[in-house]
Amino acid sequence: MLRLWPLRQVVSSAGARFIPACQKSTAPEPAPELVEVFVNDKQVFVEPGTTVLQACAVAGIEIPRFCYHERLSIAGNCRMCLVEVERSAKPIASCAMPVMKGMKVKTDSPVTKKAREGVMEFLLMNHPLDCPICDQGGECDLQDQSMNFGSDKSRFTDIAFTGKRAVEDKNVGPLVKTIMTRCIHCTRCIRFASEVAGVEDLGTTGRGNEMQVGTYVEKMLQSELSGNVIDLCPVGALTSKPYAFTARPWETRKIESIDVMDALGSNIVVSMRTNEVMRVLPRVNEDINEEWISDKTRFAYDGLKRQRLTTPFLKDANGQLMQTDWESAFLAIARKLQGVEGSQMAAVAGGLVDAEALTSLKDLMNRLGCETLCTEEIFPMDGSGTDFRSNYLMNTTIAGVEEADVVLFIGTNPRFEAPVFNARVRKSWIHNDLKVAMIGAPVDLTYEYEHLGETVDVIEKLAGGNHPFCKVLESAKRPMVVMGSSCLQRSDGSALHFMVSTLANRVKAASGADAEWRVLNVLHRVASQVAALDLGYSAGVSGVREAKPQMLFLLGADEGAITRSDLADGAFVVYQGHHGDQGAQMADVILPGAAYTEKDATYVNTEGRAQLTRQAVTPPGMARNDWKVLRALSELLGVTLPYDKLQEVRQRMAEISPTLVRVGEIEEANFFKQAIEATKAGKTSLGKEPLVPPQQVLKDFYMTDSITRASPTMAKCVQAATEAESSVH
Amino acid sequence: MASLSRLSPAIGMVRSQALAPLSTAVRTNTTAPPKKEKTKFGPLSDEDRIFTNLYGRHDWKLKGAISRGDWYKTKEIVEKGHDWILKEISTSGLRGRGGAGFPTGMKWGFMNKPSDGRPKYLVVNADEGEPGTCKDREIMRHDPHKLIEGCLVAGRSMNACAAYIYIRGEFYNEASNLQLAVKEAYDAGLIGKNACGSGYDFDIVVHRGAGAYICGEETALIESLEGKQGKPRLKPPFPADVGVFGCPTTVANVETVAVAPIICRRGGDWFAGLGRERNRGTKLFNISGQVNNPTTVEEEMSIPLRELIERHAGGVIGGWDNLLAVIPGGSSTPLIPKDVCNDVLMDFDALVQAQTGLGTAALIVMNKNCDIVRCISRLIDFYKHESCGQCTPCREGVTWMMKIMHRFTSGNARPEEIDMLYELSKQIEGHTICALGDGAAWPVQGLIRHFRPVLEQRMADYGQQKKATG
Amino acid sequence: MASRAVQQGFKQVKPILSTNHHEAKRRVLNLYKAWYRQIPYVVKDFDVPISVKMGREKVREMFNKNKHITDIRTIDLLVIKGQMELVETAQIWKQRPHIMKYFEDTVNERPADFLGKFYDGHDP
Repeated sequence: MLRLWPLRQVVSSAGARFIPACQKSTAPEPAPELVEVFVNDKQVFVEPGTTVLQACAVAGIEIPRFCYHERLSIAGNCRMCLVEVERSAKPIASCAMPVMKGMKVKTDSPVTKKAREGVMEFLLMNHPLDCPICDQGGECDLQDQSMNFGSDKSRFTDIAFTGKRAVEDKNVGPLVKTIMTRCIHCTRCIRFASEVAGVEDLGTTGRGNEMQVGTYVEKMLQSELSGNVIDLCPVGALTSKPYAFTARPWETRKIESIDVMDALGSNIVVSMRTNEVMRVLPRVNEDINEEWISDKTRFAYDGLKRQRLTTPFLKDANGQLMQTDWESAFLAIARKLQGVEGSQMAAVAGGLVDAEALTSLKDLMNRLGCETLCTEEIFPMDGSGTDFRSNYLMNTTIAGVEEADVVLFIGTNPRFEAPVFNARVRKSWIHNDLKVAMIGAPVDLTYEYEHLGETVDVIEKLAGGNHPFCKVLESAKRPMVVMGSSCLQRSDGSALHFMVSTLANRVKAASGADAEWRVLNVLHRVASQVAALDLGYSAGVSGVREAKPQMLFLLGADEGAITRSDLADGAFVVYQGHHGDQGAQMADVILPGAAYTEKDATYVNTEGRAQLTRQAVTPPGMARNDWKVLRALSELLGVTLPYDKLQEVRQRMAEISPTLVRVGEIEEANFFKQAIEATKAGKTSLGKEPLVPPQQVLKDFYMTDSITRASPTMAKCVQAATEAESSVH
Repeated sequence: MASLSRLSPAIGMVRSQALAPLSTAVRTNTTAPPKKEKTKFGPLSDEDRIFTNLYGRHDWKLKGAISRGDWYKTKEIVEKGHDWILKEISTSGLRGRGGAGFPTGMKWGFMNKPSDGRPKYLVVNADEGEPGTCKDREIMRHDPHKLIEGCLVAGRSMNACAAYIYIRGEFYNEASNLQLAVKEAYDAGLIGKNACGSGYDFDIVVHRGAGAYICGEETALIESLEGKQGKPRLKPPFPADVGVFGCPTTVANVETVAVAPIICRRGGDWFAGLGRERNRGTKLFNISGQVNNPTTVEEEMSIPLRELIERHAGGVIGGWDNLLAVIPGGSSTPLIPKDVCNDVLMDFDALVQAQTGLGTAALIVMNKNCDIVRCISRLIDFYKHESCGQCTPCREGVTWMMKIMHRFTSGNARPEEIDMLYELSKQIEGHTICALGDGAAWPVQGLIRHFRPVLEQRMADYGQQKKATG
Repeated sequence: MASRAVQQGFKQVKPILSTNHHEAKRRVLNLYKAWYRQIPYVVKDFDVPISVKMGREKVREMFNKNKHITDIRTIDLLVIKGQMELVETAQIWKQRPHIMKYFEDTVNERPADFLGKFYDGHDP
């Protein structure tokens, strides 16, 4: 455990007397006195407790490093960051040494240079010179730093006698490829696994020159964040297995985009070459994903090349789907729609749809007289339902969890529904003494939590104030209640939502949280949901089931919420989307759309933050950007939508909800009281079944939507995770 | 005054990480008569001997220990409080016996900062693994009560609530004796709740290591004690701030702790009356290697090396003139050749002046029959094997040095590589997290400093031989 | 007298290459043959998306375009220009777009309306 137990003991015994330095308090702290440091005779002022390396960064000097990483604990073992400090006998490791008053650091003195050169020589002594066949080539820290700080010649004469060290490669699963001979033992991967990912799978065995980084026994690195060790590895010891030998960093184009595999909207960089997505890397965004992304985000991109819909399809007289062209497909729809009343139509939007397409679809269907527009993902619509934005957002924000002191999860498994958010919770749990509790099936969240029960009656008790945990919630200064959208899929979802809102309001009133602090949070699972609710879609397909429509429009709806039996006999189904998944199977007409790497589109994450994806590659074959398909179809249906350009669509979105075009910002929503007042309790009664999130163990994590279901890498992951489950290790 | 003025420039020259108590060494304008300093050190008289059962001729158990004067008025010492104990230890001039020679009084004094609610611990480093060193094991198997009493006194001086004795895993009999002695002490009420009836609660736990040289490094020892891999931690924070289980901790050598009670009983001045300025007291010397009678002996500090060997170890095999070199302080100190050995004193400062160190005071004597290159090469093998592998210079550098030393042993190398090896050892020294890197570099530096012609000759011979055999 | 004057006038016009119609026609036919024979190489060397037949038809079309011209000097000048074009083509001083420029009339006009652009598949 990373948490120091004495710290916790002291805190609990001594009460508020002992406040850990890292914990943020609500009161404005007095500005700490700054320490004066001289870096190469340049005077800088830094806060006490910063390291020499950080002080140098303030002075604009970057110290070379291998083991040091801002988001991991300090190991200080690579010794690359040695710098000379005046009045110190030995050069000091700048990554670990806190600054002292009047310290004089010399970053380019002969002693410093000699120390760096020496360390570099030692690192290269056993490092294979296989850069031409190494996947890290071009983005390798060792390569770069040996150019900058290394010697220009080799003295390793023993290559002629004993050669270099060779280490057996380890098999750590289908995602991370290991070439352990290249390892320089910086232990970044180990620290990441144990600190951020919360799995103790990685470690070192042996000592001295025989020390090896690995998983002790041959096993899969069982983490949903394992891919991040690839980015962390400063050399080519850990590289991406799916990406192996496919591209070099200098020949790819990097497009900054947004991930849609979960509702967090992690920021990513899509590497593209010859109209093909080569890989996906994280992009720093302190408010959302810091610099981590989940394995699904990173590795599901090969699903974008398989099972794709590349041409329109039309069912012929024999009921066979046949390839056709756009015009015929549109005309077939137009012909079928003649004489169908608007009330006989319905539309369902899936989880990967962008806001532009949602806007276009809604405008189109409304023009046809249809008001039955739903999302596949259910959200309670009773009472104030989706009328108030605060009802369905993660109001505290993702970064807000770092300020919270108590988090209560209800019916969710954030580890797999929002892995990066879970890493953030874990970070707070380690550094800020965050207390976590959970109602729902007991799952492994990688950190300790208090399990309050599995059934909903615990929520009732909490909301009524007669549960022992109420004391903890009430004494909290910044409590958070996080409800998973998966638990709202139940038949008693609206009662559950009402109960949790009541609880949140009670907790807020009882605790000392200030007026701006928001307690109620909904953690969504799919990327499109918040935008759809913002645009006025009704959540859940119950409306469709009631209407039994003649014509159904599926926009990327692949989760099988609607089947033919829910529709009128001989109903006409149009599917628009990018993958030939469940939705396409029941369609009469298929219109190929674009996936998230193929369009400029808006997605709103679970916090209500609108973000843009950027087109990295062109849609395959005859596939088109989704809103354009709908715009073109509208023309043939005789209800032409009034926008031809993306900007015009965005203007229309701004008319509906300005938040959709305020990219990167969060619009605060704080109408909890009004929301609860507008809701009448007790429409449905709470069920008795336990709250069980659908993704409980690692193998449930990898395949959740049409892209991941088409991805061979994800299939391999599921297989490996299933095998790992039954493994003795 | 004469002796002081003769000594003071020497002290000024001494390069030591320990802060010198300069007040006595600097120029004084007082008219008071200067304290008389001895000029001849050793042999130690029997009444000044601390470890009276070093050879296990008497009963090591509680009864025997009490008969030898252990546990005598311990209660009074404990009751005098930490300030008094620290004062006595500081007066005595005791320096850490584990190798670094840090002034003990100052080190223990670091622990008496205002408490923040965390408990404090004393950790006794009984992981004696330095090649050539065998002093702590003698204490633990023949005089364990000295150590246990020392734990109580040292623990009291820093107000620690418990002592962990981290004993080397290979010391089976020592651990067994020590554990028995701890039980005896508990049963007799000497430690535990209300230790010796003084009202002070103090526990002692014996923890056996799993066998790694690096666990003798204080922070690695702490890690190992916590159940982790024995890899040194970064300093700062020092153990006095964040030590074992995150609490303030002092790690002290067995010998340092074991002499504390007798210093308190007989007074710091008695201890300070032995040995040279800044190098006070008695010391266990281990003499091994090519001597007639290898032994562990307690002697006064600053005894001349030659006298130590000839008096206690029966002299070098083949006579003093057959001496080649001595490693004076355990394997990690640089060797000194015979001409230095002739008149060097065995204490911290004199050996630093001779470009080596007292270390653990384990002398390894090598006469002219030995292959000095192979001896050092074997030491580097040891360091290579025992490097924890955490930080780069030690992990990679020592392995490289080993490869080169193996070739030097046979002579299969070029003379330029001698300079390269020296430079490599300099690249390791001072660049590592712990002192193991330094300890590995020094023997090689000593060899090159004093025996370069031997190396060159060997390479020339190898070249000749190769030419001859074709 | 008159015929002399005509003859004189005729003589005063300095010929470029050909002195009479027959010669000019020969030159034109020679150039045409040269082009005709060069076309397979053009198609191959420039890797243009046209067949040899299409290329030869295009050559014929280009010659036919000027078939109304009777002035010998004009014909000669056109032959010289055609010769230059041929050399530029054969030596690959030209590039693909220069070749494809001959077929400009076959390019479809880009649609301007949304639906047309949509069917076409390029971004509006």
